[in-house]
Amino acid sequence: MIEFLRLMKWELFRLFARRRTYIGFGVFLVVEIIFLFLWTTQSRESEMEKFINRVAGGFDVYFSGLTLAFLMVVYTMFILGLVFVALVAGDILAKDTEDGNLRLILARPVTRLRLLVVKFLSCQIYTTALFLFVGVSAFAMGVIDRGWGGGFMAWAPPYILEPALFDWNEGMFRYFGAIFTFSLIYLPVTGIAFMLGCFKIKPAAATIVTVAIFIGDSVLSVIPLPAFEPYREFFLTTRMKAWLLLLEEDISWFQFAEQSIWLIGIGFTGFVIGWAAFERRDIKS
Amino acid sequence: MLTFQNVEKRFSGAALLALDAVSFDVGKGRICGLLGHNGAGKSTALGVILGMVHPDKGEALIDGVSVQQAREKALPRVGAIFEAPAFYDYLSGWHNLKSLAAYSGGVSDRLIEETVDWVGLKTRVRDRVSTYSHGMRQRLALAQALLPRPDLLVLDEPTDGLDPEGIVEFREQLLELRERLGLTVLLSSHLLSEVEQLCDEVVILKGGEKIYEGGVDGFDHDIALFRITSDNETETKEMISRLGGRVEGDRFAFPRGVNDSELLASLIGEGAHVSSFRRESTSLEEFYLRSGEEDGTAVDK
Repeated sequence: MIEFLRLMKWELFRLFARRRTYIGFGVFLVVEIIFLFLWTTQSRESEMEKFINRVAGGFDVYFSGLTLAFLMVVYTMFILGLVFVALVAGDILAKDTEDGNLRLILARPVTRLRLLVVKFLSCQIYTTALFLFVGVSAFAMGVIDRGWGGGFMAWAPPYILEPALFDWNEGMFRYFGAIFTFSLIYLPVTGIAFMLGCFKIKPAAATIVTVAIFIGDSVLSVIPLPAFEPYREFFLTTRMKAWLLLLEEDISWFQFAEQSIWLIGIGFTGFVIGWAAFERRDIKS
Repeated sequence: MLTFQNVEKRFSGAALLALDAVSFDVGKGRICGLLGHNGAGKSTALGVILGMVHPDKGEALIDGVSVQQAREKALPRVGAIFEAPAFYDYLSGWHNLKSLAAYSGGVSDRLIEETVDWVGLKTRVRDRVSTYSHGMRQRLALAQALLPRPDLLVLDEPTDGLDPEGIVEFREQLLELRERLGLTVLLSSHLLSEVEQLCDEVVILKGGEKIYEGGVDGFDHDIALFRITSDNETETKEMISRLGGRVEGDRFAFPRGVNDSELLASLIGEGAHVSSFRRESTSLEEFYLRSGEEDGTAVDK
Protein backbone atom coordinates (compact mmCIF):
# COMPACT_ATOMS: atom_id res chain seq x y z
CA MET A 1 0.00 0.00 0.00
CA ILE A 2 2.84 2.37 0.86
CA GLU A 3 4.43 1.63 -2.50
CA PHE A 4 1.13 2.31 -4.26
CA LEU A 5 0.78 5.64 -2.45
CA ARG A 6 4.36 6.51 -3.35
CA LEU A 7 3.57 5.87 -7.02
CA MET A 8 0.42 7.99 -6.72
CA LYS A 9 2.42 10.80 -5.17
CA TRP A 10 4.95 10.89 -8.00
CA GLU A 11 2.32 10.47 -10.72
CA LEU A 12 0.42 13.45 -9.31
CA PHE A 13 3.67 15.36 -8.89
CA ARG A 14 4.47 14.86 -12.57
CA LEU A 15 0.92 15.70 -13.62
CA PHE A 16 0.71 18.91 -11.63
CA ALA A 17 4.27 19.96 -12.49
CA ARG A 18 3.24 20.36 -16.13
CA ARG A 19 2.06 23.79 -17.17
CA ARG A 20 -0.58 22.45 -19.52
CA THR A 21 -2.34 20.80 -16.57
CA TYR A 22 -3.28 24.29 -15.39
CA ILE A 23 -4.71 25.50 -18.68
CA GLY A 24 -8.13 24.18 -17.65
CA PHE A 25 -8.00 26.01 -14.33
CA GLY A 26 -7.03 29.25 -16.08
CA VAL A 27 -9.67 28.96 -18.78
CA PHE A 28 -12.45 28.33 -16.28
CA LEU A 29 -11.34 31.35 -14.27
CA VAL A 30 -11.39 33.55 -17.36
CA VAL A 31 -14.82 32.25 -18.40
CA GLU A 32 -16.21 32.94 -14.92
CA ILE A 33 -14.82 36.47 -14.99
CA ILE A 34 -16.37 37.08 -18.43
CA PHE A 35 -19.66 35.61 -17.22
CA LEU A 36 -19.65 37.92 -14.22
CA PHE A 37 -18.68 40.92 -16.36
CA LEU A 38 -21.48 40.28 -18.83
CA TRP A 39 -23.93 39.62 -16.04
CA THR A 40 -23.01 42.88 -14.33
CA THR A 41 -23.00 45.05 -17.45
CA GLN A 42 -26.00 43.45 -19.14
CA SER A 43 -27.84 42.68 -15.95
CA ARG A 44 -31.25 41.10 -16.23
CA GLU A 45 -31.70 41.53 -12.49
CA SER A 46 -35.04 43.29 -12.85
CA GLU A 47 -36.48 40.25 -14.62
CA MET A 48 -34.74 37.95 -12.16
CA GLU A 49 -36.15 40.00 -9.29
CA LYS A 50 -39.67 39.66 -10.64
CA PHE A 51 -39.19 35.92 -11.15
CA ILE A 52 -37.73 35.25 -7.69
CA ASN A 53 -40.28 37.42 -5.95
CA ARG A 54 -42.98 35.48 -7.79
CA VAL A 55 -41.72 31.97 -7.02
CA ALA A 56 -40.08 32.45 -3.64
CA GLY A 57 -40.27 36.00 -2.39
CA GLY A 58 -37.13 37.62 -0.98
CA PHE A 59 -35.02 38.49 -4.00
CA ASP A 60 -32.07 39.64 -1.85
CA VAL A 61 -32.12 36.35 0.09
CA TYR A 62 -32.39 33.93 -2.82
CA PHE A 63 -30.38 35.75 -5.46
CA SER A 64 -27.28 35.19 -3.35
CA GLY A 65 -23.63 34.65 -4.20
CA LEU A 66 -24.39 30.92 -4.13
CA THR A 67 -27.19 31.27 -6.69
CA LEU A 68 -24.98 33.32 -9.01
CA ALA A 69 -22.14 30.80 -8.57
CA PHE A 70 -24.47 27.99 -9.54
CA LEU A 71 -25.51 29.82 -12.70
CA MET A 72 -21.84 30.23 -13.57
CA VAL A 73 -20.99 26.57 -13.22
CA VAL A 74 -24.12 24.93 -14.60
CA TYR A 75 -23.74 26.44 -18.08
CA THR A 76 -19.97 26.09 -18.41
CA MET A 77 -18.77 23.02 -16.55
CA PHE A 78 -19.85 20.25 -18.89
CA ILE A 79 -18.48 21.51 -22.22
CA LEU A 80 -15.31 23.18 -20.93
CA GLY A 81 -14.60 20.32 -18.55
CA LEU A 82 -14.90 17.89 -21.45
CA VAL A 83 -11.95 19.46 -23.26
CA PHE A 84 -9.59 19.51 -20.31
CA VAL A 85 -10.48 16.18 -18.73
CA ALA A 86 -10.19 14.47 -22.14
CA LEU A 87 -6.87 16.24 -22.66
CA VAL A 88 -5.40 14.96 -19.39
CA ALA A 89 -6.90 11.46 -19.54
CA GLY A 90 -6.01 10.96 -23.21
CA ASP A 91 -2.53 12.27 -22.62
CA ILE A 92 -1.43 10.64 -19.40
CA LEU A 93 -0.43 7.30 -20.91
CA ALA A 94 -0.28 8.02 -24.63
CA LYS A 95 2.16 10.91 -24.11
CA ASP A 96 4.46 8.73 -22.00
CA THR A 97 4.41 6.15 -24.79
CA GLU A 98 5.01 8.71 -27.51
CA ASP A 99 7.86 10.46 -25.67
CA GLY A 100 9.55 7.21 -24.67
CA ASN A 101 9.19 7.70 -20.89
CA LEU A 102 7.13 4.54 -20.70
CA ARG A 103 10.12 2.37 -21.60
CA LEU A 104 12.06 3.65 -18.61
CA ILE A 105 9.03 3.05 -16.39
CA LEU A 106 8.27 -0.42 -17.73
CA ALA A 107 11.88 -1.46 -17.23
CA ARG A 108 11.00 -1.30 -13.51
CA PRO A 109 9.35 -4.06 -11.51
CA VAL A 110 5.86 -2.64 -11.79
CA THR A 111 2.89 -4.44 -13.30
CA ARG A 112 1.05 -2.78 -16.14
CA LEU A 113 -2.20 -2.96 -14.19
CA ARG A 114 -0.72 -1.08 -11.26
CA LEU A 115 0.71 1.53 -13.60
CA LEU A 116 -2.69 2.02 -15.22
CA VAL A 117 -4.56 2.18 -11.91
CA VAL A 118 -2.19 4.87 -10.69
CA LYS A 119 -2.59 6.90 -13.86
CA PHE A 120 -6.37 6.46 -13.97
CA LEU A 121 -6.79 7.54 -10.35
CA SER A 122 -4.56 10.53 -11.03
CA CYS A 123 -6.90 11.56 -13.85
CA GLN A 124 -9.86 11.25 -11.52
CA ILE A 125 -8.09 13.34 -8.87
CA TYR A 126 -7.38 15.96 -11.53
CA THR A 127 -11.05 15.96 -12.58
CA THR A 128 -12.22 16.39 -9.00
CA ALA A 129 -9.64 19.12 -8.35
CA LEU A 130 -10.65 20.96 -11.52
CA PHE A 131 -14.37 20.94 -10.80
CA LEU A 132 -13.94 21.80 -7.12
CA PHE A 133 -11.73 24.71 -8.23
CA VAL A 134 -14.49 25.81 -10.61
CA GLY A 135 -17.05 25.54 -7.81
CA VAL A 136 -14.95 27.42 -5.26
CA SER A 137 -13.86 30.18 -7.65
CA ALA A 138 -17.44 30.70 -8.90
CA PHE A 139 -18.62 30.77 -5.30
CA ALA A 140 -15.97 33.36 -4.39
CA MET A 141 -16.92 35.56 -7.34
CA GLY A 142 -20.61 35.15 -6.63
CA VAL A 143 -20.16 36.18 -3.02
CA ILE A 144 -18.03 39.17 -4.01
CA ASP A 145 -20.70 40.30 -6.47
CA ARG A 146 -23.91 39.41 -4.62
CA GLY A 147 -22.87 38.92 -0.99
CA TRP A 148 -24.04 36.08 1.23
CA GLY A 149 -27.73 36.68 0.79
CA GLY A 150 -28.83 33.90 3.07
CA GLY A 151 -30.48 31.49 0.65
CA PHE A 152 -29.92 29.50 -2.53
CA MET A 153 -32.18 29.05 -5.52
CA ALA A 154 -31.27 26.21 -7.87
CA TRP A 155 -32.80 27.21 -11.17
CA ALA A 156 -31.14 26.99 -14.57
CA PRO A 157 -33.36 26.60 -17.63
CA PRO A 158 -33.47 24.37 -19.61
CA TYR A 159 -31.79 21.99 -17.12
CA ILE A 160 -33.78 22.92 -14.04
CA LEU A 161 -37.12 24.48 -14.85
CA GLU A 162 -38.69 24.21 -11.41
CA PRO A 163 -36.72 26.37 -8.98
CA ALA A 164 -35.65 24.68 -5.74
CA LEU A 165 -35.18 26.89 -2.68
CA PHE A 166 -32.75 26.20 0.18
CA ASP A 167 -31.44 28.06 3.20
CA TRP A 168 -27.75 28.99 3.20
CA ASN A 169 -26.36 25.90 4.97
CA GLU A 170 -28.46 23.45 3.02
CA GLY A 171 -27.64 25.38 -0.16
CA MET A 172 -23.88 25.19 0.48
CA PHE A 173 -24.14 21.49 1.12
CA ARG A 174 -26.21 20.91 -2.03
CA TYR A 175 -24.01 23.14 -4.21
CA PHE A 176 -20.65 21.60 -3.26
CA GLY A 177 -22.12 18.10 -2.99
CA ALA A 178 -23.50 18.39 -6.52
CA ILE A 179 -20.16 19.63 -7.89
CA PHE A 180 -18.26 16.81 -6.20
CA THR A 181 -20.79 14.33 -7.58
CA PHE A 182 -20.41 15.87 -11.02
CA SER A 183 -16.70 15.03 -10.93
CA LEU A 184 -17.61 11.38 -10.24
CA ILE A 185 -20.26 11.01 -12.91
CA TYR A 186 -17.83 12.58 -15.35
CA LEU A 187 -16.06 9.21 -15.23
CA PRO A 188 -17.20 8.18 -18.74
CA VAL A 189 -15.11 11.04 -20.17
CA THR A 190 -12.05 9.94 -18.19
CA GLY A 191 -12.71 6.29 -18.98
CA ILE A 192 -13.12 6.71 -22.74
CA ALA A 193 -10.15 9.09 -23.15
CA PHE A 194 -7.98 6.85 -20.99
CA MET A 195 -9.08 3.75 -22.89
CA LEU A 196 -8.12 5.33 -26.22
CA GLY A 197 -4.74 6.34 -24.76
CA CYS A 198 -4.05 2.68 -23.97
CA PHE A 199 -4.11 1.82 -27.66
CA LYS A 200 -1.35 2.69 -30.09
CA ILE A 201 -2.64 6.18 -30.74
CA LYS A 202 -1.34 9.74 -30.64
CA PRO A 203 -2.27 11.62 -27.45
CA ALA A 204 -4.02 14.36 -29.43
CA ALA A 205 -6.09 11.76 -31.27
CA ALA A 206 -7.28 10.24 -27.97
CA THR A 207 -8.41 13.69 -26.81
CA ILE A 208 -10.07 14.68 -30.08
CA VAL A 209 -11.94 11.39 -30.47
CA THR A 210 -13.23 11.63 -26.89
CA VAL A 211 -14.41 15.20 -27.35
CA ALA A 212 -16.04 14.23 -30.65
CA ILE A 213 -17.88 11.31 -29.01
CA PHE A 214 -19.37 13.50 -26.29
CA ILE A 215 -20.16 16.45 -28.54
CA GLY A 216 -21.86 14.05 -30.94
CA ASP A 217 -23.75 12.45 -28.08
CA SER A 218 -24.78 15.84 -26.79
CA VAL A 219 -26.00 17.02 -30.20
CA LEU A 220 -28.05 13.87 -30.75
CA SER A 221 -29.53 14.01 -27.26
CA VAL A 222 -31.08 17.45 -27.77
CA ILE A 223 -32.64 16.96 -31.22
CA PRO A 224 -36.26 17.82 -30.49
CA LEU A 225 -37.81 15.38 -32.94
CA PRO A 226 -40.26 12.73 -31.69
CA ALA A 227 -38.25 9.96 -33.36
CA PHE A 228 -35.37 10.65 -30.97
CA GLU A 229 -37.49 10.73 -27.83
CA PRO A 230 -37.42 6.98 -26.97
CA TYR A 231 -33.62 6.96 -27.15
CA ARG A 232 -32.91 10.20 -25.32
CA GLU A 233 -32.36 8.57 -21.94
CA PHE A 234 -29.66 6.32 -23.36
CA PHE A 235 -27.36 9.14 -24.38
CA LEU A 236 -24.40 9.60 -22.07
CA THR A 237 -24.84 13.35 -21.86
CA THR A 238 -28.49 12.95 -20.86
CA ARG A 239 -27.49 10.66 -18.02
CA MET A 240 -24.66 12.94 -17.01
CA LYS A 241 -27.23 15.52 -15.95
CA ALA A 242 -27.85 13.26 -12.95
CA TRP A 243 -25.84 15.61 -10.74
CA LEU A 244 -28.65 18.14 -11.05
CA LEU A 245 -30.97 15.69 -9.30
CA LEU A 246 -29.10 16.58 -6.11
CA LEU A 247 -30.40 20.12 -6.47
CA GLU A 248 -34.06 19.11 -6.40
CA GLU A 249 -35.88 19.85 -3.16
CA ASP A 250 -36.86 16.19 -2.89
CA ILE A 251 -34.03 14.17 -4.33
CA SER A 252 -35.04 11.19 -6.51
CA TRP A 253 -32.45 8.90 -4.98
CA PHE A 254 -33.39 5.85 -7.01
CA GLN A 255 -33.10 7.72 -10.29
CA PHE A 256 -29.86 9.32 -9.13
CA ALA A 257 -28.35 5.97 -8.11
CA GLU A 258 -29.45 4.31 -11.36
CA GLN A 259 -27.89 7.03 -13.53
CA SER A 260 -24.71 7.25 -11.45
CA ILE A 261 -24.09 3.50 -11.44
CA TRP A 262 -24.64 3.43 -15.19
CA LEU A 263 -22.16 6.25 -15.76
CA ILE A 264 -19.53 4.94 -13.35
CA GLY A 265 -19.93 1.54 -15.02
CA ILE A 266 -19.20 3.10 -18.43
CA GLY A 267 -16.10 4.77 -16.98
CA PHE A 268 -14.74 1.57 -15.48
CA THR A 269 -15.60 -0.40 -18.62
CA GLY A 270 -13.42 2.05 -20.53
CA PHE A 271 -10.63 1.41 -18.06
CA VAL A 272 -10.96 -2.38 -18.33
CA ILE A 273 -10.96 -2.33 -22.16
CA GLY A 274 -7.92 -0.03 -22.09
CA TRP A 275 -6.15 -2.30 -19.61
CA ALA A 276 -6.85 -5.39 -21.73
CA ALA A 277 -5.45 -3.64 -24.80
CA PHE A 278 -2.42 -2.22 -23.01
CA GLU A 279 -1.61 -5.55 -21.35
CA ARG A 280 -1.28 -7.17 -24.77
CA ARG A 281 0.73 -4.39 -26.37
CA ASP A 282 4.39 -4.75 -27.22
CA ILE A 283 6.24 -1.62 -26.17
CA LYS A 284 9.20 -1.19 -28.45
CA SER A 285 11.23 1.76 -29.70
CA MET B 1 22.40 -14.56 -14.43
CA LEU B 2 20.42 -14.09 -17.64
CA THR B 3 18.96 -16.93 -19.65
CA PHE B 4 17.19 -16.26 -22.90
CA GLN B 5 15.37 -19.46 -23.57
CA ASN B 6 14.13 -20.51 -26.99
CA VAL B 7 12.37 -17.22 -27.63
CA GLU B 8 10.19 -16.83 -30.66
CA LYS B 9 8.35 -13.65 -31.63
CA ARG B 10 6.40 -12.59 -34.68
CA PHE B 11 4.85 -9.13 -34.66
CA SER B 12 1.33 -8.93 -35.98
CA GLY B 13 1.29 -8.26 -39.70
CA ALA B 14 4.94 -9.23 -40.13
CA ALA B 15 5.78 -12.04 -42.51
CA LEU B 16 9.07 -12.93 -40.84
CA LEU B 17 9.88 -13.89 -37.29
CA ALA B 18 11.52 -11.10 -35.31
CA LEU B 19 13.13 -13.76 -33.12
CA ASP B 20 13.39 -17.36 -34.22
CA ALA B 21 14.00 -19.77 -31.34
CA VAL B 22 16.83 -17.67 -29.95
CA SER B 23 18.63 -18.86 -26.85
CA PHE B 24 21.69 -17.56 -25.06
CA ASP B 25 23.08 -17.21 -21.57
CA VAL B 26 25.00 -14.44 -19.87
CA GLY B 27 26.95 -15.52 -16.82
CA LYS B 28 27.22 -13.50 -13.62
CA GLY B 29 29.73 -10.66 -13.84
CA ARG B 30 30.12 -11.01 -17.61
CA ILE B 31 29.70 -8.29 -20.22
CA CYS B 32 27.88 -9.62 -23.24
CA GLY B 33 27.46 -7.72 -26.49
CA LEU B 34 24.30 -8.16 -28.52
CA LEU B 35 25.08 -7.47 -32.14
CA GLY B 36 23.15 -7.50 -35.35
CA HIS B 37 22.22 -5.38 -38.31
CA ASN B 38 19.11 -3.24 -38.33
CA GLY B 39 16.08 -5.49 -37.98
CA ALA B 40 18.13 -8.41 -36.68
CA GLY B 41 16.00 -8.61 -33.52
CA LYS B 42 18.22 -6.90 -30.93
CA SER B 43 15.60 -4.45 -29.64
CA THR B 44 12.98 -7.18 -29.61
CA ALA B 45 15.32 -9.36 -27.54
CA LEU B 46 15.92 -6.54 -25.06
CA GLY B 47 12.16 -5.89 -24.98
CA VAL B 48 11.54 -9.53 -24.06
CA ILE B 49 14.19 -9.38 -21.32
CA LEU B 50 12.52 -6.31 -19.80
CA GLY B 51 8.99 -7.68 -20.20
CA MET B 52 7.94 -5.02 -22.71
CA VAL B 53 7.58 -7.39 -25.64
CA HIS B 54 5.49 -10.54 -25.22
CA PRO B 55 7.17 -13.55 -26.85
CA ASP B 56 5.06 -16.13 -28.67
CA LYS B 57 7.25 -18.88 -27.24
CA GLY B 58 10.05 -19.12 -24.73
CA GLU B 59 10.98 -16.78 -21.92
CA ALA B 60 13.72 -14.70 -20.39
CA LEU B 61 14.95 -15.72 -16.94
CA ILE B 62 16.82 -13.38 -14.63
CA ASP B 63 18.47 -15.25 -11.79
CA GLY B 64 16.10 -18.11 -12.54
CA VAL B 65 12.94 -15.97 -12.33
CA SER B 66 10.86 -15.71 -15.47
CA VAL B 67 10.22 -12.13 -16.58
CA GLN B 68 7.12 -13.29 -18.41
CA GLN B 69 5.68 -15.11 -15.39
CA ALA B 70 6.62 -12.67 -12.62
CA ARG B 71 8.15 -9.42 -13.81
CA GLU B 72 7.83 -7.81 -10.34
CA LYS B 73 10.08 -10.52 -8.94
CA ALA B 74 12.45 -10.70 -11.89
CA LEU B 75 13.16 -7.01 -12.46
CA PRO B 76 13.91 -5.38 -9.07
CA ARG B 77 17.67 -5.72 -9.55
CA VAL B 78 17.76 -4.77 -13.20
CA GLY B 79 18.75 -1.38 -14.59
CA ALA B 80 18.21 -0.33 -18.19
CA ILE B 81 19.43 2.42 -20.46
CA PHE B 82 17.87 3.06 -23.83
CA GLU B 83 19.06 4.82 -26.92
CA ALA B 84 18.15 8.53 -26.59
CA PRO B 85 16.78 8.19 -23.04
CA ALA B 86 13.52 10.04 -22.56
CA PHE B 87 13.02 11.92 -19.32
CA TYR B 88 10.40 14.35 -18.15
CA ASP B 89 12.04 17.49 -19.50
CA TYR B 90 9.98 19.84 -17.36
CA LEU B 91 11.29 18.22 -14.16
CA SER B 92 14.76 18.45 -12.66
CA GLY B 93 17.16 15.52 -12.92
CA TRP B 94 16.62 14.96 -9.21
CA HIS B 95 12.84 14.71 -9.52
CA ASN B 96 13.17 12.41 -12.52
CA LEU B 97 15.35 10.09 -10.47
CA LYS B 98 13.01 10.18 -7.46
CA SER B 99 10.00 9.59 -9.66
CA LEU B 100 11.56 6.65 -11.54
CA ALA B 101 12.96 5.14 -8.35
CA ALA B 102 9.41 5.05 -6.96
CA TYR B 103 8.67 2.27 -9.46
CA SER B 104 11.48 0.22 -7.93
CA GLY B 105 10.16 0.66 -4.40
CA GLY B 106 11.83 4.01 -3.74
CA VAL B 107 15.38 4.84 -2.68
CA SER B 108 16.88 7.15 -0.07
CA ASP B 109 18.05 10.66 -0.93
CA ARG B 110 21.53 9.68 0.21
CA LEU B 111 21.70 6.89 -2.35
CA ILE B 112 20.56 9.23 -5.09
CA GLU B 113 23.19 11.79 -4.04
CA GLU B 114 25.90 9.12 -4.10
CA THR B 115 24.85 7.87 -7.51
CA VAL B 116 24.56 11.35 -8.98
CA ASP B 117 27.99 12.19 -7.60
CA TRP B 118 29.42 9.02 -9.11
CA VAL B 119 28.08 9.69 -12.61
CA GLY B 120 29.32 13.29 -12.40
CA LEU B 121 26.00 15.11 -12.40
CA LYS B 122 26.08 16.56 -8.91
CA THR B 123 26.24 20.23 -9.87
CA ARG B 124 23.38 20.06 -12.40
CA VAL B 125 21.01 17.52 -10.90
CA ARG B 126 18.64 20.19 -9.56
CA ASP B 127 18.33 21.83 -13.00
CA ARG B 128 15.57 21.02 -15.42
CA VAL B 129 16.38 18.18 -17.79
CA SER B 130 15.36 20.39 -20.73
CA THR B 131 18.62 22.31 -20.13
CA TYR B 132 20.79 19.16 -20.26
CA SER B 133 23.15 18.26 -23.09
CA HIS B 134 22.99 14.80 -24.66
CA GLY B 135 25.96 13.68 -22.58
CA MET B 136 24.29 14.86 -19.37
CA ARG B 137 21.10 13.00 -20.26
CA GLN B 138 23.20 9.91 -20.75
CA ARG B 139 24.73 10.38 -17.31
CA LEU B 140 21.25 10.77 -15.87
CA ALA B 141 20.24 7.60 -17.70
CA LEU B 142 23.14 5.77 -16.11
CA ALA B 143 22.19 7.16 -12.70
CA GLN B 144 18.56 5.98 -12.99
CA ALA B 145 19.73 2.55 -14.12
CA LEU B 146 22.07 2.27 -11.12
CA LEU B 147 19.53 3.39 -8.52
CA PRO B 148 17.97 -0.02 -7.91
CA ARG B 149 21.54 -1.22 -7.22
CA PRO B 150 21.21 -3.65 -10.11
CA ASP B 151 22.85 -7.00 -10.65
CA LEU B 152 22.06 -6.83 -14.35
CA LEU B 153 22.39 -3.79 -16.62
CA VAL B 154 20.63 -3.85 -19.97
CA LEU B 155 22.04 -1.24 -22.31
CA ASP B 156 20.48 -0.42 -25.67
CA GLU B 157 22.88 1.68 -27.76
CA PRO B 158 24.02 3.56 -24.64
CA THR B 159 26.68 5.63 -26.39
CA ASP B 160 24.53 6.64 -29.31
CA GLY B 161 25.03 10.34 -29.99
CA LEU B 162 27.91 10.74 -27.53
CA ASP B 163 31.14 12.42 -28.64
CA PRO B 164 34.35 10.31 -28.62
CA GLU B 165 35.35 11.58 -25.15
CA GLY B 166 31.89 10.69 -23.88
CA ILE B 167 32.15 7.20 -25.33
CA VAL B 168 35.53 6.59 -23.70
CA GLU B 169 34.25 7.94 -20.39
CA PHE B 170 31.16 5.76 -20.55
CA ARG B 171 33.28 2.70 -21.31
CA GLU B 172 35.54 3.40 -18.34
CA GLN B 173 32.54 3.91 -16.07
CA LEU B 174 31.05 0.63 -17.17
CA LEU B 175 34.25 -1.31 -16.57
CA GLU B 176 34.63 0.33 -13.18
CA LEU B 177 31.06 -0.60 -12.34
CA ARG B 178 31.68 -4.21 -13.22
CA GLU B 179 34.80 -4.11 -11.06
CA ARG B 180 33.12 -2.46 -8.06
CA LEU B 181 29.65 -3.97 -8.13
CA GLY B 182 30.19 -7.21 -10.02
CA LEU B 183 27.54 -6.19 -12.53
CA THR B 184 26.41 -8.38 -15.37
CA VAL B 185 25.90 -6.33 -18.52
CA LEU B 186 24.02 -6.99 -21.73
CA LEU B 187 25.07 -4.37 -24.26
CA SER B 188 23.40 -3.81 -27.59
CA SER B 189 25.55 -1.62 -29.79
CA HIS B 190 26.50 -0.90 -33.36
CA LEU B 191 29.96 0.28 -32.33
CA LEU B 192 32.03 -2.83 -32.93
CA SER B 193 35.20 -1.38 -31.44
CA GLU B 194 33.25 -0.61 -28.29
CA VAL B 195 31.93 -4.15 -28.12
CA GLU B 196 35.39 -5.60 -28.73
CA GLN B 197 36.91 -3.50 -25.96
CA LEU B 198 34.15 -4.01 -23.45
CA CYS B 199 32.65 -7.42 -23.92
CA ASP B 200 33.76 -10.82 -22.75
CA GLU B 201 31.39 -12.48 -25.18
CA VAL B 202 28.98 -11.60 -27.94
CA VAL B 203 25.72 -12.87 -29.33
CA ILE B 204 25.17 -12.04 -32.99
CA LEU B 205 21.67 -12.03 -34.43
CA LYS B 206 20.78 -12.07 -38.07
CA GLY B 207 17.23 -11.97 -39.38
CA GLY B 208 15.92 -13.03 -35.98
CA GLU B 209 18.26 -16.01 -35.70
CA LYS B 210 21.31 -16.38 -33.53
CA ILE B 211 24.34 -16.95 -35.74
CA TYR B 212 27.06 -16.73 -33.15
CA GLU B 213 27.49 -16.94 -29.40
CA GLY B 214 30.90 -16.96 -27.83
CA GLY B 215 34.07 -15.00 -27.15
CA VAL B 216 34.98 -11.85 -29.08
CA ASP B 217 38.02 -13.53 -30.64
CA GLY B 218 36.55 -16.86 -31.58
CA PHE B 219 34.96 -16.18 -34.93
CA ASP B 220 37.30 -18.31 -37.02
CA HIS B 221 35.81 -21.44 -35.50
CA ASP B 222 35.14 -22.97 -38.91
CA ILE B 223 38.14 -21.69 -40.88
CA ALA B 224 41.82 -20.87 -40.40
CA LEU B 225 43.04 -17.67 -41.99
CA PHE B 226 46.57 -17.13 -43.28
CA ARG B 227 48.37 -14.14 -44.73
CA ILE B 228 50.83 -15.55 -47.24
CA THR B 229 53.08 -13.62 -49.60
CA SER B 230 55.34 -15.17 -52.18
CA ASP B 231 57.52 -14.22 -55.15
CA ASN B 232 55.50 -16.48 -57.50
CA GLU B 233 52.01 -15.35 -56.50
CA THR B 234 49.99 -16.96 -59.30
CA GLU B 235 51.53 -20.37 -58.84
CA THR B 236 51.22 -20.10 -55.08
CA LYS B 237 47.49 -19.44 -55.39
CA GLU B 238 47.08 -22.55 -57.50
CA MET B 239 49.03 -24.58 -54.94
CA ILE B 240 46.88 -23.20 -52.13
CA SER B 241 43.80 -24.21 -54.04
CA ARG B 242 45.15 -27.72 -54.50
CA LEU B 243 45.83 -27.90 -50.77
CA GLY B 244 42.16 -27.09 -50.00
CA GLY B 245 42.51 -23.35 -49.40
CA ARG B 246 40.59 -20.44 -50.95
CA VAL B 247 41.02 -16.70 -51.29
CA GLU B 248 39.33 -14.76 -48.50
CA GLY B 249 39.89 -11.06 -49.19
CA ASP B 250 43.62 -10.49 -49.07
CA ARG B 251 44.15 -13.69 -47.11
CA PHE B 252 43.69 -17.42 -47.57
CA ALA B 253 41.21 -19.56 -45.73
CA PHE B 254 41.81 -23.23 -44.93
CA PRO B 255 39.64 -25.71 -43.12
CA ARG B 256 39.87 -25.36 -39.37
CA GLY B 257 42.45 -27.78 -37.91
CA VAL B 258 45.08 -27.28 -40.53
CA ASN B 259 48.59 -27.43 -39.08
CA ASP B 260 50.65 -24.25 -39.68
CA SER B 261 54.07 -26.00 -40.08
CA GLU B 262 52.66 -28.76 -42.27
CA LEU B 263 50.91 -26.23 -44.50
CA LEU B 264 54.07 -24.13 -44.87
CA ALA B 265 56.14 -27.25 -45.59
CA SER B 266 53.65 -28.41 -48.21
CA LEU B 267 53.68 -25.02 -49.95
CA ILE B 268 57.47 -24.92 -50.06
CA GLY B 269 57.52 -28.54 -51.13
CA GLU B 270 55.15 -27.70 -54.02
CA GLY B 271 57.55 -24.93 -55.12
CA ALA B 272 56.04 -21.79 -53.63
CA HIS B 273 58.63 -19.04 -52.98
CA VAL B 274 57.10 -18.03 -49.64
CA SER B 275 58.43 -14.73 -48.30
CA SER B 276 56.03 -14.37 -45.35
CA PHE B 277 53.57 -16.71 -43.69
CA ARG B 278 51.31 -15.74 -40.75
CA ARG B 279 48.13 -17.16 -39.22
CA GLU B 280 45.53 -14.44 -38.45
CA SER B 281 42.23 -14.49 -36.64
CA THR B 282 38.93 -13.14 -37.89
CA SER B 283 38.09 -9.88 -36.20
CA LEU B 284 34.64 -9.14 -34.87
CA GLU B 285 34.25 -6.50 -37.55
CA GLU B 286 35.10 -8.94 -40.34
CA PHE B 287 32.69 -11.50 -39.02
CA TYR B 288 29.97 -8.92 -38.55
CA LEU B 289 30.39 -7.43 -42.01
CA ARG B 290 30.51 -10.86 -43.59
CA SER B 291 27.25 -11.85 -41.91
CA GLY B 292 25.60 -8.79 -43.46
CA GLU B 293 27.09 -9.31 -46.90
CA GLU B 294 25.66 -12.81 -47.11
CA ASP B 295 22.09 -11.59 -47.21
CA GLY B 296 22.76 -8.12 -48.53
CA THR B 297 21.68 -6.43 -45.30
CA ALA B 298 22.92 -2.88 -44.96
CA VAL B 299 25.73 -2.61 -42.50
CA ASP B 300 25.29 0.11 -39.93
CA LYS B 301 28.65 0.68 -38.33
